[in-house]
Amino acid sequence: MAAPMAVRRELFSLTRILGGISHSGPRALGACSGHRKCNIIRSHLPLASSTSFHTATVFSSTPSSITVTEEPDALFQTVSLLVKGHDRSVLDSYEVFASMAAKELGITINKVHELPKDMERFTLLKSVHIFKKHRVQYEMRTHYRCIELSHITGCTAQVFLEYVQRNLPEGVAMEVTKTAMEKVPDHILEPMWGDHPIDDKLSQ
Amino acid sequence: MASHTSKTFLSLGRINASGLGLRRPVSRVTYATDSSVNASAGNKGPPDRGGRGFLRRPRRTAGEPRTEKMAVDQDWTAVYPAAAVFRPSSVPLPVRMGYPVRGGVPPERKGNLELIKIPNFLHLTPAAIKKHCEALKPFCTEWPSALDTDARCDELFPIKVESTDYVSDGPSVRNPSARIVHLKVKLASLNLDDHASKKMLKLVGKRYCKDTDTFTIAADSCPLRQQNQDYAMYLLTVLYHESWKTETWEAEKTVADMEEYSWDDSPSQRNLLDMLVRMKAAGEGEGEGVREQLLARREVQEYKDSVTRLKNEGESESTTLQYKEAVKKVLNL
Repeated sequence: MAAPMAVRRELFSLTRILGGISHSGPRALGACSGHRKCNIIRSHLPLASSTSFHTATVFSSTPSSITVTEEPDALFQTVSLLVKGHDRSVLDSYEVFASMAAKELGITINKVHELPKDMERFTLLKSVHIFKKHRVQYEMRTHYRCIELSHITGCTAQVFLEYVQRNLPEGVAMEVTKTAMEKVPDHILEPMWGDHPIDDKLSQ
Repeated sequence: MASHTSKTFLSLGRINASGLGLRRPVSRVTYATDSSVNASAGNKGPPDRGGRGFLRRPRRTAGEPRTEKMAVDQDWTAVYPAAAVFRPSSVPLPVRMGYPVRGGVPPERKGNLELIKIPNFLHLTPAAIKKHCEALKPFCTEWPSALDTDARCDELFPIKVESTDYVSDGPSVRNPSARIVHLKVKLASLNLDDHASKKMLKLVGKRYCKDTDTFTIAADSCPLRQQNQDYAMYLLTVLYHESWKTETWEAEKTVADMEEYSWDDSPSQRNLLDMLVRMKAAGEGEGEGVREQLLARREVQEYKDSVTRLKNEGESESTTLQYKEAVKKVLNL
């Protein structure tokens, strides 16, 4: 019993970490986007007053205040990123970027693999009027890349996903599938009928 | 003026020379970048416009490109701090991109549209990524070390909730598929007794996978993800409590409703006992006692095991062999 109790204590101490200044960042950018792609300013989370980012001077230069709340952190068993694009080389570079970012943040990468590409082809008439025998064929190629990460906490997942999604290149789409782990809630631990399982009133 | 005309003559002369078939690696195809030679030579713009009458302000000459002044050990994150288009005068790399002309090489980086079109990762060099991650580290939390294996995670956190987020270009940020939630739970981790687990399987139907003992609820009827999550948990709760209830009509369960085959009171048992009684009819020929005696015999028990295994697990090499041995022993063949 000691081991699970220790685990529970450790788990309960996992608290959510919220950033003070990180909330001002999206708000400042929010003015120019209903569109996720903000062409004017496309920087990552503006944090800290490190002099290496010259865009930091655009936002307020107060040091970021990190608040720790008592809300228990979410736990994700796997987070799988599927990136889709028309150009394989762009996805190659993006994969290098995402895996390096995951390594720097200390996230375990389970697998990085490439799914076979999809080609959507269609044939149209070449001419506006008649000439049925002369057609033109088009195709659209969609390349995929899948990065599977495992054992991430909610805070780390939020940070990593926001960083990686803000740096998504143009013309690339992403699907993130998160598998969160949850304990069995208290109301499912024991049946509520107690010692009288036969319920006559409801059956009549 | 004289120099300008001489330059035009030179260019004419070059084209004529290649037209005569002299095998020189000079291509006839010229790129738009070649026109810059004329523009910088004469500060007045293209000659045909000069005759219109209005004098344009003399165009400033472009200075030296930044690449000449870059040190080898400079801070690249200051040159490309955020995502930006490719600037040939800021990138000191000898990059060439595009389809090469016949007998030539891909065009250089100055004025190259292909390099401008493709998204570049110049703002995400390893040095830049390290800097960004250093700044992001304080916001991350550690994974609890006690949950290092999947088995441990499943033991303590058996319920898995899957959801998907979508990010794409388009006029809208929303994706209606993002509201779908899948809740997966292993029935072995819930507190169910024999009757409750059988009833749960009947209630759940096709949503249960026997191989992995996983029950999946797919919730997509509500417009928001949080609502779907709550609904899935509610369904799980209701199913759990309902499966513990025993209704009065459950007593009418017939053999056809049973999940597993049981040999007692089955036609197979009756047939076997009848046959054995008839085989022994020459001998004792008693009434009820004979049946119990026969049931207690080892060969009959073996036959019972083999038939039960055959019916529950299906036909395979081992089950049919076992059945054959049992039949041979029972009938003394």
